[in-house]
Order: sequence, then C-alpha cells, then structure tokens
Amino acid sequence: MSFTAVAQQPDSTVHQLRTVEVFGRPAEVYAAGSRVSAIDSSYLRTYASGSLADALQARTPLYFKSYGASGLSSVSFRGTNASQTAVLWNGLNIASATLGQTDFSTLPVGGIGAVEVQHGAAAATYGSGAIGGAVLLHSPEYKGEGLGWEAQLEAGSFGRYFGSGRLSYGSQKLEVGASAYLRLAGNDFTYTDLSRYQTPRVKQEYAALQQHGITQDITYHLTDKTQVALHGWYTYTARDLQPAMGSAPDNAAQKDENLRLLAELKHSSRWGQTDVKAAYFKDYLHYTDNTTNSEADVQTYQLQAEQTYTKGSNWSLRGGINLQHFVAENDGYAGQQQENRAAVFALFRYNPVAPLALSLNLRQALVEGYSPMPTPALGFDWTFYKQHQHRLSLKGSASGSYRVPTLNDRYWIGAGNPDLRPEQGWSYESGLRHVLPLGSTLLLETEATAYHMLIDDWIQWAPDDIGRWRPANLQKVRSRGVELSSQVTATVGEMKLSGSAGYTYTSSEQEKVYDGTGDKGKQLMYVPLHKAIFATTAQYHNWALLGNLNYTGLRYTTNSETTSLNGFLLLQLALSKKLELWETPLLLTLRSDNVTNTVYQTMAYRAMPPRSYTFSIRFSLP
Amino acid sequence: MKNSNFFRSLFVATALFSGSLGLTSCDKDNDVTPATSTEVRGPYDQHGVFILNEGNYGTPNGSISFLSDSANQTVINSISQKANNDRPLGDVVMDLDIVGDRAYIVANNSNKLEVVNAYTFQTEGAVELKQPRFFAAASADKAYVSEWITYGQPGQVSVIDLKTLQVVKTIPVGPLPEELLVADGKLYVAINGSNVVTVINTSTDVVERDITVTDGPAELELDADKRLWVLAKGRTVYNSDWTVNYSETTPGALIAINTANSTVLNTLTFGSNQASPGNLAITGDGAKLYYNYQGATYAQSASATSLASTPLINRSFYGLGIDPDNGYIYGSDQNGFSGDGTVFIYQPDGTKVKEFKVGIGPNGFVFN
Repeated sequence: MSFTAVAQQPDSTVHQLRTVEVFGRPAEVYAAGSRVSAIDSSYLRTYASGSLADALQARTPLYFKSYGASGLSSVSFRGTNASQTAVLWNGLNIASATLGQTDFSTLPVGGIGAVEVQHGAAAATYGSGAIGGAVLLHSPEYKGEGLGWEAQLEAGSFGRYFGSGRLSYGSQKLEVGASAYLRLAGNDFTYTDLSRYQTPRVKQEYAALQQHGITQDITYHLTDKTQVALHGWYTYTARDLQPAMGSAPDNAAQKDENLRLLAELKHSSRWGQTDVKAAYFKDYLHYTDNTTNSEADVQTYQLQAEQTYTKGSNWSLRGGINLQHFVAENDGYAGQQQENRAAVFALFRYNPVAPLALSLNLRQALVEGYSPMPTPALGFDWTFYKQHQHRLSLKGSASGSYRVPTLNDRYWIGAGNPDLRPEQGWSYESGLRHVLPLGSTLLLETEATAYHMLIDDWIQWAPDDIGRWRPANLQKVRSRGVELSSQVTATVGEMKLSGSAGYTYTSSEQEKVYDGTGDKGKQLMYVPLHKAIFATTAQYHNWALLGNLNYTGLRYTTNSETTSLNGFLLLQLALSKKLELWETPLLLTLRSDNVTNTVYQTMAYRAMPPRSYTFSIRFSLP
Repeated sequence: MKNSNFFRSLFVATALFSGSLGLTSCDKDNDVTPATSTEVRGPYDQHGVFILNEGNYGTPNGSISFLSDSANQTVINSISQKANNDRPLGDVVMDLDIVGDRAYIVANNSNKLEVVNAYTFQTEGAVELKQPRFFAAASADKAYVSEWITYGQPGQVSVIDLKTLQVVKTIPVGPLPEELLVADGKLYVAINGSNVVTVINTSTDVVERDITVTDGPAELELDADKRLWVLAKGRTVYNSDWTVNYSETTPGALIAINTANSTVLNTLTFGSNQASPGNLAITGDGAKLYYNYQGATYAQSASATSLASTPLINRSFYGLGIDPDNGYIYGSDQNGFSGDGTVFIYQPDGTKVKEFKVGIGPNGFVFN
C-alpha cells in the first residue's frame, strides 16, 4: 500500500536518473520493481506527539504488537517477526545489536522529519534484517532563508501532555536546525479486567511514560559540489511496563537512552558522486522489576562509503562498503563483547529503453563465523501502456535477504549458540501499477502486488532438551500475500481532497520445523490475515479534517491457531483550523483517537486505551 | 543473589524479545459436553487425567486440559476458561489437587490459588498468595501451599482453611520452597534454594526439623515402603563473569529418607554436574520411580540402591506422570512455548500408544 500524499511521491515511472536524485533513497533508484511508500507529512505533523508505532499502525500494512499503552511495540511486516524489518536512520541501520530489533515505542514521531516504508526484502541495499521490509527514517530538513521557529503544546485524555519547539536558520551556504520535545503520558485509563472474577472495571495504574529528546541538524555547502552535514538525535524514555491482566504486578520499568550522531560528506566530481557517512550510536537499556536489575549498553560505530557513477540517462552504478563495530556491555554477557561486521555492495540500474528499468544488486556481508551467502536482487519496472492519460506498468523482483544473529544470540552466557546460521530469505514479487492524472484536478494511483517469500533458518529462542532457553535455527517459514492500494487527490471547487485505501492479505506459516513438534501449516502468531486502511484529508480554506480508519483482522496468539484475538476497527479524527495571532500563524487542532471506543488488544491481555481527546496549539514562523 | 539475577535476566530477555512467548485469549473450539451420563455432577466427574498447561510467563494463559478415560478418550482443552465465561485461569499454572468436591489450582505468577468445583471447574473462590508453587492437603479441611514470596529470598508455607479459604498461618522456611508431601502427620517441604527438606508437624503447624540432603531438593514422592524420595537438582555456581564454575557446581541426586526417623537412607548422586535431573514420578503401587536426566527418561525400582544406567525412553519431557491404575507413562513436549504442547502416552515398557495436543507448556498430570 502506498499512503503518500501524491504530491510528495515522485512518479517512479517517469523517474530520470538525474544527478540530484542519485543521492536519494537507494531503493527507489536501484530497486526497480520494489515499492517504497512515504507517510503523509501532514499526518506526521498532526500526530507528532505519538510514537512511530502508532503512526505506522494507523497508516501502513505493518502490524504492531504493543505490550499495552506504554510497553514495547514490535513490528510484523509481510508475516515476518520483529527482527526481520530493518530500521534505518539517514541510511544507516539503527536496530539494537543486542536484541536485533527496534522497539518502535521509543521512536517519537517528533524527532523524525520523514518516514518511508520499503515493502519486501531489500537486504541487498539495506543489509541485515531487511527481510520483510525496511522502515526508513530521515532527520528533519530545514529549508528556507533566515530564521524560523515553531512551538507546539498539547494536552489530552489520560494525563497526556506534549510540548515541542524548533528553531532553524537558513542561508545559501548553511541550514541549521534544532528541536526539542517532551512527552508525558499517565495512561491512567479505565478498562475491563477480563482476568478477574466478574470482570470489574479498573483503572490502569501502571503504564506511565515520560519521554524527551532533542534533534540537531546542520548542513553546510562548502562549494557547489561539496556539502557536509551533521545530524544528532537523542531520546530518553522512562516508563512503567503495563502488566498483563491477571499476572501479578512486578513493578517492571524500563529506561531507554538512544543517542545517534552522524556526519556525512557528499561530493560531486567527474567520477560521480561520493557519499561518506560516519556514525556513532549509543543505546542504553535499563530494565528493572521486583527481582531483576538488568542493563545493556551498546555502542555502535558505523562507516559507510559509496561512490555513484551515472552515464547519461541510461545507467547508473553504485558501489559501497559498510563497516560496523559494536562494543556491548550486558549483564547477560561474560564481560564486554566486541564485534566487527562488514558488507560490500554494488547496485546497478539500467534503462535500455525509456519505459523499462532494470536493476541488479548484490551484497556480501562479512561477519566472523556467521557470514551469510551473497545476497542478490534483480528487478524490473516496465510501463507497457501509455494512452489517453492512463499509464500502466508491470513490475517484479526477485531478491535474497539475510539476518545475522544478534549479540544476545551469540554472547548470552549459557545460551549463546555458536552453531547458529544466519537467517536466509528469498522473496519474489510482482505487481501492476496504474496512474491516471486528469488535468490538474484529479490524480488516481492504484497498485496491486503479490509476493511469495521463504525464510529459512528462522532464529527463535526456545528451551532445549535440558530446559535451557537458547536461540536455535528453528524453522523455515513461508509467507505469501497480496497488497492493494489506491489513492486519489482531487480539487473540487475550493476544497482539496485526498484519500487512500489499502488492503493486505498475509499468510505466513511454518513450512519446515527443524526442532520439536512445531505447528506446520498454521498461521504464525500475531500475523493478521487481513488488514485494511482508509485515510482521508479534506482542506477547505483554513480548515482541515483528517480521518484514519484501521481494520485489523483476527490474530492467533499462538502458532497453533487455537486461541486468538478478535479483529478490531479503529477510527482517528482530527480537525484543524489555521488562525493568525499577532501576525503569527497559529494552528489549532482537536483530535480524537479510538473514536468508536473499541475494546481491543494488539498483544493478548494488554489493555489498550479507549476513546481519547487531544487539543493542540501550534505557532510557527515563517 | 547472582543466581536469581542471572536467570531472571535471561528470562526477561527471552520473554520480552525473542517473540517466542505468545499469548492466549479465548478458545472457541470444543464446547464442553458431559462425556458420560447425566447423573454425574459435571463433565469432569469421571475417570481421566487433568493436564496442567502452565502458559507463557507474564501472561495469564495457563490452562487445564482433560483427557477422559471413557471409551473414545476425548481431550478437552481450557476447561476452566470454558466453565468461567472465557476468563483466563492464570499465569504459570503449577499445581492442581482435588480435595473432596473441589480442585485447587496454583497459579504462580498470578499470586493466587484458584478454587474450582472439581466436576464443573466453575470457580468458587480464590486465595491470594505470594508466588505460590505447590499445594498439599493434610485433611479435608486443611492444606498447605509453598510460596517463594520473592525469588531467592526466604519463602514460606501458608496453612489454608479449606472451609473458609483463609490463610490461617504462615510458616517461614528457606528460599524457594517447592514440592510438598504429607505423610503420617508430617508435612515435608523441599527447599530448593538450600540443601534441606523441612519437616512440619501437621497438628501443630510448627517446623520440627530440617533433614539435610544434597543441594537443590525440589521434588518429593513416597514409595510403598514409606521411604520419602527426594529429587535434588544440584546447585549451579557462577564465576564473576557469569560463566558456570563447574569445579564448584554440584550434581543432582535421588535421596531416600526414612520417614519413621527422618534419617537419610541412601543418596544416589548423578554422574555429571553439567545436567540436572527432573520430573520425579512414581507408580500407583509405589514400587517404581521415573525421572528425566540428560535428555532421556529412566525408570528404576524404588528399592534400587543405584541409579538406572539405560534409559527407558530416549527423550526427556517437560512434564512426566504415571497413571496409578495401569502404569502408563505420560510425557509432554512444550513446543517452545510458541504453540500448543503435545502429550505422549507410553505403555510401561516404553512403547508409545497415543499423542495429542493440549495447551501452552504442559508441565504436569493429575489422575482423576
């Protein structure tokens, strides 16, 4: 599904390999036949106080399993598990090296400039973990001359408060911006405790969250052909971990601190474009409960260097290396552990004739003792029909993907398994895309994609024959599905309307089980067979109305298909009005989440908030 | 305590992040129908076996399955949920005992003893406890529950009045009290966090003495000659970097105690300190012991003075039980806690006769 406002998504069928664009997202340029969709920027601004998990749950086919209002949020994309979706920030992987996955509740929308979703395997471009897909995050961009600022304040139901501020300055040579945000959520909503005798209404008393952070971004144009950029993002999250209904409260709490720093150099010469990124990430996690006090502290050093050479408008070649160095301290490890990983990649795109784009990518990752097979990807995008404004294209791709074991999989004492193999995925997809612009008043885009994916040596922690929990290459999983999406923008008189609809069908099951009994041929737990999204925006003069509808079908809560959570329908509405106060533009927004007061769970027995209201006020200049 | 931290951390890591711990809500299949005639007091008023499914730690999806002994041997899963409007039973179901018309179910991480009608499994009450582990009745009116209180700290045994469902007394014991066994006016408590079996007088509810055994006593069975068999798991010692210190780690053992004078008769120590024995079970006539060790199932006479050297079944089980009527062996597989577990039934000679799916993490059998 593509949930983009059309204006923000360049039509890939008319994509030209212009110099400026090869600095763009590699998947768009070099992964012909695959799909990248962006989250509408007006949505991100309206829901800036939320987490990325909330935003992606509402706007994409990704399914998030949230451990209540404050707890961990883990993703499932195209029927895969939380470790099999890569998360990149400004082009570099930021998934926790210890856990191999990202807790999306610790990624505040307020700290992110743009979000894109790469559908399907893209490990050749994005590396380990991009099996089901990838989530691409970008730092805020500060365009425009002179000084700019913005301030937002928000208050809502269940003790939720949010404040953020942003300052920026721009000149011909320099773009500088900084932002800060603070979010407080009491999450003291009332719910029905299904686990207690006579299922009483009770108040959630242990789901409070506090989050704050800053971003800093500087871009300096040394010359017309050379620029340097610095990006910094720090987020602190402290929260009570909401217990399951019916489990004894154990005062579980977690603090996360994530610092991400990145320096980038871009240079154009007659040899093409050079792009070098150096990054330092520090991820600290402190978990406590009545009997546990566990810390994990991981420092990641990354260097990525790429050289792109473009010849005319026909072909483009990019080669690069990625180096990672991890220094991890964890209560579960025997002292400090260090690890180096490397990858080399080559991405090639060729347009033999204008309507046909071909791409060939290859990546080889090198991990001591755990090197995966070379990862290729092959794709095409062919616009075969172009008449009466209709444009139809056929696309397809075949790609490999991989995931190397996490540091926990390797170094956890008594559990780390030296015999683990990397996960290996094979994905095939094909799709049709239809675009119909009618003058300047209507644009209709429709896309249908079907995929077939095999993931072998799927790593999972399970007790071995002497009862010891450890990771093992437990199974081979087959995931198949269909993704349909359609979006329209229209101007009717003075009203601007846009709408998008999407539906995904996901069938994901164990095809082979290497250890134990397993549950072959059954839908994997927490993978909804059906998910549908409907979103609309209507703008009239200074008024705007945003609506989002999310239907998520039944999810089994074990791999045996014997227990399940019912499907649910969630509605979000937001009404905004632009005003002017002391010559400063002012935006007032009234929002309601879960408008229909649906009782639902994304993780069994973790109560989720009922209907809530939020009021927000935002000043901005210019 | 290092030991505690280590395992809890491991557990937390596994539980939170492996994604292997799924959860259960409501099971709509297999509506309950009485398997025998209507004179019975409920669907479970018949010969059969209750299977305890502990569920996923941190989630109240523990459940009870029932395999009826009637001609067509039907399995019904989640019987307490079915009898109680889909209300979940509890988090880490550890033990079930039938006393009179009621069944008492220990849900460790729900901090409760759920009291249900033994024939219908409709809930009749609950007793709030602190990390309860096992239950043992001394009479129709009185029972004991071992409680960890806090993992690694000294535990207690609560005395429960079965008429009022009130805790009438708590008896402090050592850390991590596990199985309980009542014999001849005495309650034996295996203190897993130490090396003793604590003896409590069931008429005064006062600790009489500690019988010193080897490290990590956890399971108890009484044989035909009134010997108390104790399965001790040994003690794992860690180095400062959390690797196992095998020069100080102690092996498990089977210990026979003379219940008449509380003296140790015999200690059968297992050969390796790198694996722990588990799942001690005994036949109905109290003549034969079964246990798991190093990935296999062993059987030996209760009067043997050495450990069996060849396995009876070449695999171990998550839970093990012996049908007291016919000596059939019931073993379970936990399926990685990500899907329903499986129960296997073997003839006494180790020939498999049946297998069927139950709930999440089957860990024990109670024969009705």
